[in-house]
Amino acid sequence: MIKYLLSRILQSIFTLFIVITIVFVLMRFMPVEGYLGEGYDKLDQVQKEIILENLGLRDPIHIQLSKFYNRLIKGDLGVSITYRPGVPVADILKGKIPYSLGIGMASLAISFVAGIKLGTVMAEDLGKMLNRLGNLYIILVNAVPAAIYYIFLQFYLTDIFKLPMLFYVDKPISWILPILSLSLGTTASYALWMKRYMADELNKDYVKLAISKGMPMKDVIKKHVFLNAFVPMVQYLPASILFTISGSIYIESLYSIPGMGGLLVEAIQRQDTPLVEAIVLIYSFMGIVGMFFGDIFMVMLDPRIRLGKSEGRV
Amino acid sequence: MKRFLILFIGVAVVLRAFILSGNIFSYHTSISDREFRLVYSGEITTLNYLTTATANEFSLLANFVDPLVEYDRFGKIQPALAEEWTVSEDGLIWTFKLRQGVKWVNHEGKVYSPVTAQDFVDGLKYVLTSDNNSKTANIVYSMIKNAKEYYEKEIRDFNQVGVKALDKYTLQYTLIKPIPYFLSTLTYTCFFPVNGQFLKDVGDKFGTDNRYILYNGPYIMPTYEAHHRRILEKNKYYWDKDKVHIDKIIMTYNKEAGVLAPEMFLRGEIDHVNIGPDLIHEWIKDEKKKDLIRPNRTNFFSYFYAFNFNPNFPEEYDPDNWEIAVNNKNFRKSIFHALDRRSALLTEEPYEPESRLLNTITPKGFLSIGEVDYTELEALKKFSREDSFNVKLALAYKEKAMEELRGEVSFPVKVLMPYNTASRQWANRAQVIKYQLERVLGRDYIDVIIEAKSPTGFFDKVRNSGNYGLMELNWGADFADPETYTHPFKRDSTFSWIYLAKAYEGEGGYTIYENLLEKAIAEVTDVSKRYSLFAAAEAFLIEEAFVIPYAVGGGGYSASRINPFEISYSPFGATSGRYKGLKLLKRPMNIDQYKRELYRWQMERKGQFERGRE
Amino acid sequence: MMKNLKYSYWTSTIEAFKKNKLALFFLYTIIGLIAFIIIQPYLPNQKSPVAIYIDKATGFQLINRPPSKEFWFGTNSIGQDMWARIWAGTRMSLLIGFTVALWENFIGLMVGLVWGYVRRLEGIISTIYNVLNNIPKTIILILLAYTLKPGVLTIIFVMCITGWLDTARLVRNLVVIIRDREYNIASRILGTPGYRIAYKNILPYLVSTLVLKISLSIPAAIGYEVFLTYIGLGLPVGIPSLGNLINEGRGYITVASLRYQLMIPAIVLSIITVSFYTVGNAFADASDPKNHF
Repeated sequence: MIKYLLSRILQSIFTLFIVITIVFVLMRFMPVEGYLGEGYDKLDQVQKEIILENLGLRDPIHIQLSKFYNRLIKGDLGVSITYRPGVPVADILKGKIPYSLGIGMASLAISFVAGIKLGTVMAEDLGKMLNRLGNLYIILVNAVPAAIYYIFLQFYLTDIFKLPMLFYVDKPISWILPILSLSLGTTASYALWMKRYMADELNKDYVKLAISKGMPMKDVIKKHVFLNAFVPMVQYLPASILFTISGSIYIESLYSIPGMGGLLVEAIQRQDTPLVEAIVLIYSFMGIVGMFFGDIFMVMLDPRIRLGKSEGRV
Repeated sequence: MKRFLILFIGVAVVLRAFILSGNIFSYHTSISDREFRLVYSGEITTLNYLTTATANEFSLLANFVDPLVEYDRFGKIQPALAEEWTVSEDGLIWTFKLRQGVKWVNHEGKVYSPVTAQDFVDGLKYVLTSDNNSKTANIVYSMIKNAKEYYEKEIRDFNQVGVKALDKYTLQYTLIKPIPYFLSTLTYTCFFPVNGQFLKDVGDKFGTDNRYILYNGPYIMPTYEAHHRRILEKNKYYWDKDKVHIDKIIMTYNKEAGVLAPEMFLRGEIDHVNIGPDLIHEWIKDEKKKDLIRPNRTNFFSYFYAFNFNPNFPEEYDPDNWEIAVNNKNFRKSIFHALDRRSALLTEEPYEPESRLLNTITPKGFLSIGEVDYTELEALKKFSREDSFNVKLALAYKEKAMEELRGEVSFPVKVLMPYNTASRQWANRAQVIKYQLERVLGRDYIDVIIEAKSPTGFFDKVRNSGNYGLMELNWGADFADPETYTHPFKRDSTFSWIYLAKAYEGEGGYTIYENLLEKAIAEVTDVSKRYSLFAAAEAFLIEEAFVIPYAVGGGGYSASRINPFEISYSPFGATSGRYKGLKLLKRPMNIDQYKRELYRWQMERKGQFERGRE
Repeated sequence: MMKNLKYSYWTSTIEAFKKNKLALFFLYTIIGLIAFIIIQPYLPNQKSPVAIYIDKATGFQLINRPPSKEFWFGTNSIGQDMWARIWAGTRMSLLIGFTVALWENFIGLMVGLVWGYVRRLEGIISTIYNVLNNIPKTIILILLAYTLKPGVLTIIFVMCITGWLDTARLVRNLVVIIRDREYNIASRILGTPGYRIAYKNILPYLVSTLVLKISLSIPAAIGYEVFLTYIGLGLPVGIPSLGNLINEGRGYITVASLRYQLMIPAIVLSIITVSFYTVGNAFADASDPKNHF
């Protein structure tokens, strides 16, 4: 197992290296105009050349790449070139991550509790009113594009409850709506999966046995079914928590939250390579770690599964 | 589930009662005449006023640092940090006496040091040091002696550059050539001062945050949270603080401002909002809302449609065919008269498209000789007074063109018209124009092909490489002289290559237009003659239908507690973004009030200039 | 309790599906919608989705006309017929949705089977997966729109490049779970060739999951197109799609009299999503052999 872990880690580092290299090269295919911004049309040729040279964009690509690796090995994420010229990328991220993380975690906590509760209720109530209402909610949330229902909620709920339209750090009352809106979609998907797992468990023989032995349905659900269905739900939690830092572009744009949502897209559009690289690095790292944990969980839950070719080959 | 629902409703009801009664969570709904709140959707990337060339940035930054001179609300130059100035006989040496007692303060409003002549020298030195990546350096080195040499590192000693602090409060610029409009260019941020010691202390961080600049203008910025908010406060040490009437400006960032801000205005959360063309319909029809809005003033960006004489587009659009067609004057004139510019403008100005219509390249009100506006000068008069859209003429020219081009050109001529997908308005306009032109001229004659182009590298990919047939282009003024609007038509520009047009050879290997231009540029003594010569050159462009003048920028509507006639009025430079001189109205201006105010402003302005002449 | 003595997997699946009346209703909705958008342009009195209609009296465009006899869904801000645009947009979005869904599930299934089943390739496919998964699609989309031009093919291409990753991962995880079950180990020891085990023992197990996945990828692809339009990388407005219709309509959210320009495309999108979602779920349940008894 240790050998397997080691090889996975090496493999991950190798993957990260390839990803940032490809992204770097792709970013270099972007036209030079984008580095010079809005005033481009008023610049003269001499100026354009000097600015591009100063940004290091006129060096051959292998020199640019080796400079980039050298910097990265020292743990330096570099300095933003167009998004906020001159500001260290680390500072930009440090300012933004807490917002997305805070809002994201709060909404995730709500979704997790509410979703599991809703899913359980729906499974117990299969085929009846609550189940139908729950289904309606899940379908609606999935059917109506988030871009539309977020803005409707913002409009009408702030009006009805006399809340401020936007998010203000120093006014906790303004945090409620973005957090709740963000949790609607995740709640629905947690409820959906919880219901599925519960329904699967309820079909199993041990439940039938317990009931035929005279154990009350409520106790069966509480003691066995719920717990068994809950385990696979927890499985994806670490990855979900990690990914809250990427923020929601819709929610953050609508409520003026200065978080990570849409930062990657904007950094790419502005051709701010150091910033793009830093974000890609963070997201890739999380993706790889998330996948790794997913695999480990799978092995732990089902001992029959074997990963890696060194072991378990028949 | 039921319990949960009940709980939720319960919480909501309690919460609501709470808010309505106690107002514990109060936010700004009270209207104050010293505090101004707005929402903006474009965030600045830097506070470094010495490097930025972005309008959005320098118009904010002009609130923090004062220039030597400023424009008043009538567009007249007034002393600011300079109290008086002289210019030498030959027009090359400008000497400024600076105002004494002006102070630099930091973002918290604490005094740092006095503003001296050396600060202006340090500012130019920063701009001209090429390592600093200043995007406005070319404005400086196109005028100041030895500046270009220093920028390109041919000269290492900054003392040789034409800017000097003669003493603590005397500043002198030496120019390359006599520039009658030099004063007007001093309102650009590249001529702003900077404190050399501070610059040394903060190093690379200069301008990256509100803490890393010093302030000497009407406002300081104690709070700046990028993509969230910025708070401006009146500078207590400002030399002209009696003219600063708003104490605090709260600007909140919102990417969806176009959708959300109008509602925030109605709820009293903000004091100013632009009402886009999507909303204007509803607002004008609504009894309550219609008194809240007024038109915006137009600006000095000139938009025009240009015929490309250097077709460099894919074979499928038949560039060779286009080249023959575009060199036929009657072909150009048929399109010139067929384009219904009002239809195109309806996409942005559904109510009064006329307010933005422009019949010349140089906008109305930009310059005048005495009382006669530049666009009303003899040569341009007939264009300014008449709408170019004329179906009868268009069809007559079409007939002539078809006759002349028969056999040489295959009809319908493909007219490649690209647009930038980043602009929804532009996309709409392109579609409208396609159908409008084809309707007037017939699809047997032209086939307008509108092509979506991505915003990435748009300039270089489309306009600068000649990858279009007919396209909407624009240009803004850089200084107070008609020459500023001739840039797109000069030989070294990459707009529409009119010098490649056939059958327009003039003298000395140049085209007729270039000869006209040369004559105008050479006239530096007699201003009215200079203007008339430029007007003649511009008239030639329009008469020969090299371009189709279209519209000025700006316009639209606002709901606002600001009186737009109190804003510093200037076609260029950075001072028009300033809040200095503005007072907050008790209630927003409506359309009738706006028209009255506009008339009053025009009268007062006229009076000012008449008094000026006496 | 088997209904038929001769058990046929597909007959039973269809039988089970037919019992779900709601799902049947939505299935007919989808079929009806697709049939309608195909014949709509050939119906009498149809207008062009891109032509601009003008007021004969003034010569100006018919801007923002509310729904009427002439324009059934009204006109938009430049005088185009919303009825024609909505159906042209639905056509475009469904085309994108189907193309992308078929491609990503086919490739995803193939890669996923190999990934899960062939241990020698596991490392390399994992690396490819991680690399592709972590290169932002935005970069590729921007570069493609720059070098080619913004359009339908660019969007489909970008969605296809990375779209199959999710399916591949899902299939791979399922395969990993099944492949080490006792009966498969037994088959392997008995010398059954790998492709045969994959085809006979593993694939049937995946059917229900895959069906669900496909039916969800169609609305997901349309949703992604909406998102791309939102960040400014969608189709140009000259090519109507549900994405840019909704994006244009968003501006009217506060304008009661023009809100129909948002609501109509949003409703069409919602109907498509709900239909596929319900049908997919019902079919997945029906194709699960456990539910056949």
